[in-house]
Amino acid sequence: MLSCLGCPTLSRVLSTGASRAPVAMAAAVASRAPVVSTPTCSQNSMTLVRYNSTAQQEKPKKTKFGPLADQDRIFTNLYGRHDWRLKGAMKRGDWYKTKEMLDKGVDWILNEIKVSGLRGRGGAGFPTGMKWSFMNKPSDGRPKYLVVNADEGEPGTCKDREIMRNDPHKLVEGCLLAGRAMGARAAYIYIRGEFYNESSNLQVAINEAYAAGLIGRNACGSGYDFDVFVMRGAGAYICGEETALIESIEGKQGKPRLKPPFPADVGVFGCPTTVANVETVAVAPTICRRGGTWFLGFGRERNSGTKLFNISGHVNNPCTVEEEMSIPIKELIERHAGGVRGGWDNLLCVIPGGSSTPMIPRHVCDDVMMDFDALIQAQTGLGTAALIVMDKSTDVIRAIARLIEFYKHESCGQCTPCREGVDWMNKMMWRFVKGDAQSAEIDMIWEISKQIEGHTICALGDGAAWPVQGLIRHFRPLMESRITDFAQKQQAHA
Amino acid sequence: MASSAATRTAAKAVKPIFSSDLQEARRRVRELYRAWYREVPSTVHVYQLDISASQCRDKVREMFDKNKHVTDPRVMDMLVIKGKMELEETINVWKQKTHIMRFFHETETPRPTDFLSKFYHGHDP
Amino acid sequence: MLRLPTLSRALAGAAHSKGSIPTSNNVRTSVRALSNLVEVFVDGMPISVEPGTTVLQACEKVGVQIPRFCYHDRLSVAGNCRMCLVEIEKAPKPVAACAMPVMKGWNILTNSEKTRKAREGVMEFLLANHPLDCPICDQGGECDLQDQSMMFGSDRSRFAEGKRAVEDKNIGPLIKTIMTRCIQCTRCVRFASEVAGVEDLGTTGRGNDMQIGTYVEKMFLSEMSGNVIDLCPVGALTSKPYAFTSRPWETRKTESIDVMDAVGSNIVVSTRGGEVMRILPRLNEDVNEEWISDKTRFSYDGLKRQRLTQPMVKDASGQLVNTSWEDVLTRVAGALQGVQGSEVGAIAGGMVDAEALVSLKDLLNRLDSETLCTEEIFPMSGAGTDLRSNYLLNSRIAGIEECDHLLLVGTNPRYEAPLFNTRIRKSWLHNELQVALVGHNVDLSYSYNHLGESTQVLQEIAAGTHPFCKVLSQAKTPVVVVGSSALQREDGAAILKAVSAISQNARASSGVEEGWKVLNVLHRVASQVAALDMGYKPGVDAIRKNPPKVLFLLGADAGCITKADLPKDSFIIYQGHHGDVGAPMADVILPSAAYTEKYGTYVNTEGRAQQTRVAVTAPGMAREDWKILRAISELAGVTLPYDTLDEVRRRLAEVSPNLVRYDDVEEANYFKQANELSKAVNQSLLGAPLVPPQLTLKEFYMTDSISRASQTMAKCVKAVTEGAEAVDEPSIC
Repeated sequence: MLSCLGCPTLSRVLSTGASRAPVAMAAAVASRAPVVSTPTCSQNSMTLVRYNSTAQQEKPKKTKFGPLADQDRIFTNLYGRHDWRLKGAMKRGDWYKTKEMLDKGVDWILNEIKVSGLRGRGGAGFPTGMKWSFMNKPSDGRPKYLVVNADEGEPGTCKDREIMRNDPHKLVEGCLLAGRAMGARAAYIYIRGEFYNESSNLQVAINEAYAAGLIGRNACGSGYDFDVFVMRGAGAYICGEETALIESIEGKQGKPRLKPPFPADVGVFGCPTTVANVETVAVAPTICRRGGTWFLGFGRERNSGTKLFNISGHVNNPCTVEEEMSIPIKELIERHAGGVRGGWDNLLCVIPGGSSTPMIPRHVCDDVMMDFDALIQAQTGLGTAALIVMDKSTDVIRAIARLIEFYKHESCGQCTPCREGVDWMNKMMWRFVKGDAQSAEIDMIWEISKQIEGHTICALGDGAAWPVQGLIRHFRPLMESRITDFAQKQQAHA
Repeated sequence: MASSAATRTAAKAVKPIFSSDLQEARRRVRELYRAWYREVPSTVHVYQLDISASQCRDKVREMFDKNKHVTDPRVMDMLVIKGKMELEETINVWKQKTHIMRFFHETETPRPTDFLSKFYHGHDP
Repeated sequence: MLRLPTLSRALAGAAHSKGSIPTSNNVRTSVRALSNLVEVFVDGMPISVEPGTTVLQACEKVGVQIPRFCYHDRLSVAGNCRMCLVEIEKAPKPVAACAMPVMKGWNILTNSEKTRKAREGVMEFLLANHPLDCPICDQGGECDLQDQSMMFGSDRSRFAEGKRAVEDKNIGPLIKTIMTRCIQCTRCVRFASEVAGVEDLGTTGRGNDMQIGTYVEKMFLSEMSGNVIDLCPVGALTSKPYAFTSRPWETRKTESIDVMDAVGSNIVVSTRGGEVMRILPRLNEDVNEEWISDKTRFSYDGLKRQRLTQPMVKDASGQLVNTSWEDVLTRVAGALQGVQGSEVGAIAGGMVDAEALVSLKDLLNRLDSETLCTEEIFPMSGAGTDLRSNYLLNSRIAGIEECDHLLLVGTNPRYEAPLFNTRIRKSWLHNELQVALVGHNVDLSYSYNHLGESTQVLQEIAAGTHPFCKVLSQAKTPVVVVGSSALQREDGAAILKAVSAISQNARASSGVEEGWKVLNVLHRVASQVAALDMGYKPGVDAIRKNPPKVLFLLGADAGCITKADLPKDSFIIYQGHHGDVGAPMADVILPSAAYTEKYGTYVNTEGRAQQTRVAVTAPGMAREDWKILRAISELAGVTLPYDTLDEVRRRLAEVSPNLVRYDDVEEANYFKQANELSKAVNQSLLGAPLVPPQLTLKEFYMTDSISRASQTMAKCVKAVTEGAEAVDEPSIC
């Protein structure tokens, strides 16, 4: 993340983080009882537990979202400026009173998560509290497992790798808490094969945690046994799909399974399993420590919390940044990414949620908010909140063609619409790039994308269909003009 | 009894082909027989048959005798029609020698009846 | 939509309910059953199904067939072809009918706009990269893709891009692959890993480059491999021997029975112009389900080679020369007239039908001879063949699915009865059947507890001192199967005695109800059970001890008796369909019909009588076996009292009524008595290990006169020993 080094936000984080900590602490102690802590906090952690006084104000309805105050950041070492090992992590507040949180019991953890309104950060946005509570059925003798999806392969997305490289203990602690919440015996962290440093750091963190007695037998002295395993993938985008990931962990080809049965019934090794994204798991400890209501205070209703946004493409400072949900897209880009290259007026379109979501053109970007519901309304989706910004120098048809080529390459080939349809779309898209097509074929590719969407086993088919649909929805005149240009050129040649 | 009476009345009500009664039908049969009888020598000549006219007349008589049990005038009429067609084909040489000779079953061998002969004969059960 | 006539179904149901007399009882059970049923609607028609039923099954229940490619009743659900997508009312997305369990109150719309659109879309995708070479495709006319694209596809193509081509693979001399036609339904992959039990096939590559294959080029090493041809919904896997020979609409189909092993698989013989074009399986849940072994399917070309088509006699120089039936029958009758009693003997081979067996027996009985033997041996001491339950596969083939512990003794069912082995594997896979084996350590396509190959082990189990006895005593429904190959040994009686004791102990410890049968014999040849039912003596000992002057070999090709065993002046008559082992030593050869050329009754190892039907006429002057014997009897002056097939079968019924109760198994249950009688056997077990004769796949292919004459089978043997590329044929297309 070289591009982040010059980021102004970053320096502010660093400077204010230290100075404001005592103030926050004092305010917290004064205002209300800490959520988890007892009055006898150790000096070490006291400096680190922060309470947000601004977000908790009794306003009936928030209208302005972001920027996020530094004391409300969950990922305090996102840029790797501090020690990522256990010692540094504990300084930043990780593993603080984990035992007490575990002792409060399953229902308490689940309740905090439910109250926080946390929605899955992997793209689909399923309410996490509900998902975890599915696992709380009485056991039939099979062990339960937590699987952490660290196979971050979505083009444009680069949030999980930052967590694992720079804040791995957040994830490990999250695994423990989430595992406790669903009564899991162990967590498998399925990490993408290309993430060498990330898996290495994560493994070191896990080893440290084991050595410190934080996980393993009698984790944190809570009497609960919990193991964490790292499993490295071999680099396939489809293995980020939860059932394909399970297959891959089991040593089979990474091909999605049919649902039902859902992983909560039959998952990894035939046991009940919950698959959760790295970010979802990693924010859980902080939510529990600071309280679900704190987390709920960010963002709009049903889109609460903070979120890591990845901003890439034609911006001055591409970066990964933690921000409040529902922040307007324009503010997000301008504040953190240094604005669009050549100014806001030079913006052509944005893919707001990683490559699978349809693009939105500039006029939509002007006032759309970055959250699940607002983007659904704009006929796109939050996805992984990875913004791909394109300015007017972009050949948008080619950009989408390249994305479809990616999907064509990553389709597992199991089910027909995706295997045959995405390849077909890829061939057509590259003709559209040249303009070597009939304008009626625009309708045809739209229809083909509709024939793929919703007809496949997993969501990869949908993810491949949506970018094309987004392109046609917003840039049809461009496609048509290119076709006519090409036809004219051909005629001139002949 | 009632049913047979019903059929009889029904048969009476049915439209005749040519002949209104048995006498008339018999007459038509006799006429046909006579025509065949007269035609036989010329047939033997025209088709260059290797049999004598009397053999041929015997065959004609045999063919008529085959249906002598028929008493229904309508059936008789139909048979007469068929016989006339046959006669016409013969007179006009629409037939060939082999068609005439088929009446004499010269080339047909009798099918075996006992097990062993059938066995030697072939697969036919 | 493919709708079954619902009216006839309703009528059948009504007839059924009328037949059941205790109505009150019936009502009660149905009410109880209804309570945990789920009510769903198919196109508005209500139907109650058990929870867990898939949408597809629910639709089939009301007679609506959902199109499918990857789904198959007998294989696991893959759900990858997406052809079976149907709309569920109020559901956002169409669901895959083959995999989705129904939920209460669902209205399944099988013919809605959305459903049809989804099917058409999937069909378009399937055809996008399909070569559409139907005119030169062997699947043409029986192709699911053809049929369903006519039914559900669009009437024109929009695909203007280049098509994908896939390299063909050589997976042996039986299966031809044209992988460009493959639609990746993975039925063959699932068949190989689930039914055949060989993990040879799989998918490699991903996305549009996904291919079905063996990864490294190798042969599909399975005795059941041919079934993937039937499973393949397109023309990607077709039969190599059948390639480019005929079209399905040109052939005449005759329902018949296979005689290559003692299972009696149900088959359909496809013929065209008096020639067998191919053999396909026929559904019979009790015997072969819908599979057949490769020997059954592919050895039909042996029916066209090495055939005896003319009667022959040995001339003065010892050379066999062609002659007429009159001549040859006179000679045979003359020879028979000169002998009486034990001076004439007969040996029946492994593929003889019951009609021939009864005729031969009647003929020799009329000559005062009882020297009627079969080639296969069965120990006669103890109960011997007097008690029918002693020599049958009493549990039946389908009964294996109810058993929980199976002990195999001295057999290799994988090659001796592949379909029986398939049943064992099915039960092992789905019902957690525990299998143990005494005998040579063979690859059975499932894991088993190998107890050792020495007879010592058998004795220990019988005596209750072996550790396995503990396991066996835990069994609720134990089954013990002894291979007939083990009984061929000198100490066959002792082995049978030990097995009988084991079975009796297992039955006692399991406390299973009286009707459950433990002891089973797995035969290897098709004629054996019928011959034993008729009172043939198993084994040729009688002939060896007391060599007859005239020996009648009825299809005896196993080579049990050689010229050296007989006096110099003995007269040998061979009657059979192939010039194999038996014919060269004969003085007179009587050509007869093979199993595709006659109406014949065969009793399989379970004791199930089934009949073959005439598919083609016998070649040359060959005649049906019983007719030859009937003709001889007439000339010999002891005319047999039947002239037609019906009369022969009436005689069969006289001898043993079960022989003509087709497709029915006669119960036999005299194990206790047999065990008591076997105690009288004082033969001791030999030290030699129990090694069945067919150990590896290459020994499976050529075991009888038909398969030995088959070129296809010879190619298989070569391919198995030297690799598939050794029999590489010039590719035609």
